Amino acid sequence: MLQTLPSPGRAGGVAFAFFTGRRGWLPGLLLAGHLVAGAQARPPQAAAPGPAARPARLAARPAPAAGRTTVSYAKGFTISYVANYKLLTIKSPFEAKAPAARYLLVPRGAARPAGYPDAQLIATPLRSLVGLSSMHVALADFLGAADVLVGVGSFQYVSAPRVRQRIAAGQVYEVGQSTELNNELLVARHPDLVMTTGWPGEGPGHFQTLQAAGIPVLVNSEWVETTPLARAEWVKVLAALLNKEAVVNEKFDAVAREYQRLATLGRHATRRPSVVVGLPFKDVWYVPDAGNYLAQFLRDAGATYHWDRTRAASGSLALSFEAVAPVALTADYWLHTGTLTTKAALLAQDARYAAFAPVRTNRVFNNNLRTNAQGSNDYWESGALRPDLLLADLLHILHPELLPAWTLRYYQPLR
Amino acid sequence: MLTPTAPGAADPPPAPPRPRLAQGLLLLLVLVVLAFVLDVALGPVRIPVLTVARHLLGHGPPADAATAFIVHQIRLPKALTALAVGSGLAVSGLQMQTLFRNPLAGPSALGLTAGAGLGVAVVMLTSGGVASALAVRQVGLAGSWALVLAATAGAALVLALVLALAARVRDNVVLLIVGLMVASVTGALVSLWQYFSAPEQIQAYLLWTFGALGGVGGAQLAVLATVVGAGLALALASAKPLNALLLGENYARSLGLRVRRSRSLIILSTSLLAGSITAFCGPIGFVGIAVPHLTRALLGTADHRVLLPGACLLGAALVLACDCLAQLPGSQLTLPINVVTSLLGAPVVLWVVLRRPLRAAP
Repeated sequence: MLQTLPSPGRAGGVAFAFFTGRRGWLPGLLLAGHLVAGAQARPPQAAAPGPAARPARLAARPAPAAGRTTVSYAKGFTISYVANYKLLTIKSPFEAKAPAARYLLVPRGAARPAGYPDAQLIATPLRSLVGLSSMHVALADFLGAADVLVGVGSFQYVSAPRVRQRIAAGQVYEVGQSTELNNELLVARHPDLVMTTGWPGEGPGHFQTLQAAGIPVLVNSEWVETTPLARAEWVKVLAALLNKEAVVNEKFDAVAREYQRLATLGRHATRRPSVVVGLPFKDVWYVPDAGNYLAQFLRDAGATYHWDRTRAASGSLALSFEAVAPVALTADYWLHTGTLTTKAALLAQDARYAAFAPVRTNRVFNNNLRTNAQGSNDYWESGALRPDLLLADLLHILHPELLPAWTLRYYQPLR
Repeated sequence: MLTPTAPGAADPPPAPPRPRLAQGLLLLLVLVVLAFVLDVALGPVRIPVLTVARHLLGHGPPADAATAFIVHQIRLPKALTALAVGSGLAVSGLQMQTLFRNPLAGPSALGLTAGAGLGVAVVMLTSGGVASALAVRQVGLAGSWALVLAATAGAALVLALVLALAARVRDNVVLLIVGLMVASVTGALVSLWQYFSAPEQIQAYLLWTFGALGGVGGAQLAVLATVVGAGLALALASAKPLNALLLGENYARSLGLRVRRSRSLIILSTSLLAGSITAFCGPIGFVGIAVPHLTRALLGTADHRVLLPGACLLGAALVLACDCLAQLPGSQLTLPINVVTSLLGAPVVLWVVLRRPLRAAP
């Protein structure tokens, strides 16, 4: 990613999945950037739960029965267990009126259940999966199912070591993105499922060729969620497809518990350092809005965020440099500076940054510590499923006294 | 479109009295000053005009660091950039319209803007995957020298091509077509590049194409001002040849004008202006096409000794005004400058196109 990007996508988390999902769709790209949290059609109830509400709700949740999982944070999908099959419903995040997409998850070899004529049938457990975005790579890797992943959108955007190994061994194929999707290759290889990222205005007709060939396509819209845990919880979709409910319950609950523990620390911190986020491009500075999951991260990390109450339809605010500069001048910390890794590079972009307090006090941190040789940043891959680690990083940066022994995993200071 | 009628020459000017012209220029100068003050005074952060004035005069309260930063580091450089951009683009547009004797010519007619765009695309979209290529991009692009150098190199490349052709091709219309074709080819190259580039890189490029007056500060502003100043000086020196060219090349030659040399001088001036401005601020549309027409209408003359400074002032005032609008007074949002100039400029071009048959009728 170019450091020039103030990237709403980045700040908002659509980020990678999002852009990689649409390469080639030029006129919409900029718009794309703005549609970060998909807040356009964000349902009212999708607002972040109150700080106090969540731990209580977590505790009150009944333990799921064996082989089942329940959805606690995400608003975009539901899983219900019916007789011998599962019904997965994914709401259309963009148009409230559009019908939700339904998927029947049926044991391989079993007959199609009656009802739901419009639902796509997927045989479980999946034996082969093609994931178009880096988020999907992370989902498989998190569940210890990297070997199920037989195809990815682009080799360049893969960080998971196991998947990289398989790519090097020629066990994974590359199918491209969106309009450049290599339908012929997909039809020839016939994977059990193609997982893609949802996009406004993209009707079901977009994948007609694949569906006509009998390849189910699942539209995963995790990036419209408004909290980090909700976003990570989409891993349960893949878990249900792989019959790995037991694994996901254990692993995701551990992440959620740790996140809640850290968030309690952060929310009770007495000092509230102020934070400015993102990198401007000349006149424009995109900052996440109050409904953006990044804003939730900052709340949980005990930070003061200037736009914590400002909502935008797109999930990020396109502000003028001048509107953000006074905040940046006196902020305690500056986070998410594109792909930059050094202060010199930051100042090469614009010498005026030298006047910002975080630059003077060496408190500029970027989320690109885990960028590999291909330029792929693991923050957008495995980071999406480890909000606990990201929050620990933020707490360590903003409140060193709370987590003194922590070593940064995804963030690094600009030197 | 390509009828060789000189703009403004359809009705030969009856040599209007000089005092009126002087008044017109003075009026434009006042407009520029007003627009400049307004541009510095207005912005997403509300600062009283008096406070702005005190900061500009160096008497600002020292405790108010944020206001000082906004006035000195953001608004003043931006207004000065707008000044350079407006005058430079308007003058280069005027020169192109006269040289090609085509009312729809502009700085982009020679393919200079497209050339600059190609240069930028080469730097921005250079395919990643290789660590060293990534390192190059890590140097920083937004408002950086890499971007400026690339754009200048791209514009210079096209300029060299056009100048070489200009020496061989005598017909200006052919030269105009050559410019359009060069723009077409460079545009196709950029599209091809985009098609095979990572989306986030394309986004950076698209942001650049939106144009921006901000982010040009310090040393960059000095370079921009120097180059634009040189281009404007060359342009003013070419006022007489431009007047002669209005009457047609053969007639100009019979007046003793060394057409080829004058033409090269005009192209060089335009290239300096359009190339440097595009490099620093991105392609900013319509100012170059629209302002010359507005100037002719306003001053009622075809004399380039008046038109050149007139276009210079009007262009500056227009871009400053557009920048005021781009900041959406009362809001923290900002519009890309290219959007605003195009929204204002397109109706002007329409007006020109629709007006011509009426004027040609008698």
